[in-house]
Amino acid sequence: MRVPVGYVWADSPLHRARAGAKLAGLIVCSLAAALSSGLVLAALCLLACALVALSRVGWRRALRPVWAMRWLLLAVLLMNALLFSRVDAVLELGPLALTPVGAAQGVRVAARVALVGVLGALLTATTRPQELVGGVRSLLRPLSALGVPTEAAALAVGVTLQFVPTLLREGRQLARAQEIRCGHVASHDIMRRTVNYVRLLVPVFVAAFRRADELSVAMEARGYQVAPPCDKGSRKGGSV
Amino acid sequence: MSQVKRVVVAAVCAALGIVLPMLFHAVPGAGNVWLPMHVPVMISGLVAGPASGLATGLLAPVLSSLATGMPAAPILPSMTCELAVYGLVSGLLSAHVRTGALARDLYVSLVGAMLVGRLVGGALQALIFSAGSYSLAAWGAGYFLTGLPGIALQLVVVVPIVVALERAGLVPARYPAR
Repeated sequence: MRVPVGYVWADSPLHRARAGAKLAGLIVCSLAAALSSGLVLAALCLLACALVALSRVGWRRALRPVWAMRWLLLAVLLMNALLFSRVDAVLELGPLALTPVGAAQGVRVAARVALVGVLGALLTATTRPQELVGGVRSLLRPLSALGVPTEAAALAVGVTLQFVPTLLREGRQLARAQEIRCGHVASHDIMRRTVNYVRLLVPVFVAAFRRADELSVAMEARGYQVAPPCDKGSRKGGSV
Repeated sequence: MSQVKRVVVAAVCAALGIVLPMLFHAVPGAGNVWLPMHVPVMISGLVAGPASGLATGLLAPVLSSLATGMPAAPILPSMTCELAVYGLVSGLLSAHVRTGALARDLYVSLVGAMLVGRLVGGALQALIFSAGSYSLAAWGAGYFLTGLPGIALQLVVVVPIVVALERAGLVPARYPAR
């Protein structure tokens, strides 16, 4: 099972930086990685390495998304190396041709994907969910003039981030309960394993919606309202 | 359904859109085949309306990519657009389709959203994300053949889940008992 990179307790310049600035930095770096190649991409990779070292998060945690994507990255690398071009082929085998240009393209694409994965992991490892919500709110604030419900968007991001560990725990508990009744959920037979996971869907959804119902009732009982962007009168924000 | 509950339902479905792929990735290659992120997006649209479906479709892939690295950055924009369309269209159809039978309403909305989402996804691939290198065969293979088990899964589980939520009183009844 893939595990999200959660907040890592440490004291580093990255932990102390404003969440809005980190989010904006992630967006700018992702765009730069998507549009650049060669030296700029290498510089961005070096910058990511420096940020990992600076963050005191640990290389293992920072590189966890890259490890989770290892097969995808390998597939991207191989497909580009073998299918991208036929010019100056080092090795030809039917429709496949291994070329230096293709290999370089594969490395570039894999580096871009890995870079965004590492930077995303660094953001979630150095920013608490509440700070991330504040960052989203501050980044979206200019859009409220255009009628975008930024408060509702920030609230949704906050609730989503807080519910992920809760629902993961609940999903594991339901899987364990099913194991006790019907045997091991993660069976070696892929088809049976899939059917077991599908069986979990209804109870997982009902449990999640029960929590959503309780949370919304509690918020409304405290006078929380999702106001339109121009309405300043109602009670907004606050922790959930 | 109140506005606060719509936002919370959208957020909880987005959280499920992050958690379900994590559970399903215990099965090799399950993400592309079983499309686990699609299920909560469709359900959010069906039970809480187009705005909630749209929000879930935008939040789930972006936050999942940030937290777990999947979907990978190159496919994130196209997947986000596709999921946002699923959520929006399932909500719009659910709000307007009234055949008199709950299951029929839900199936019409679900199938309509699945078709429109795939059409819009293919159009975006052809015009923006893979402009010039996208073909009808690639669209058919990518959106229908690879994800065939996922399509079957959505047809089998989405409507029973919505019905179960209605019966449990967790979402307003579509046709309240007279």
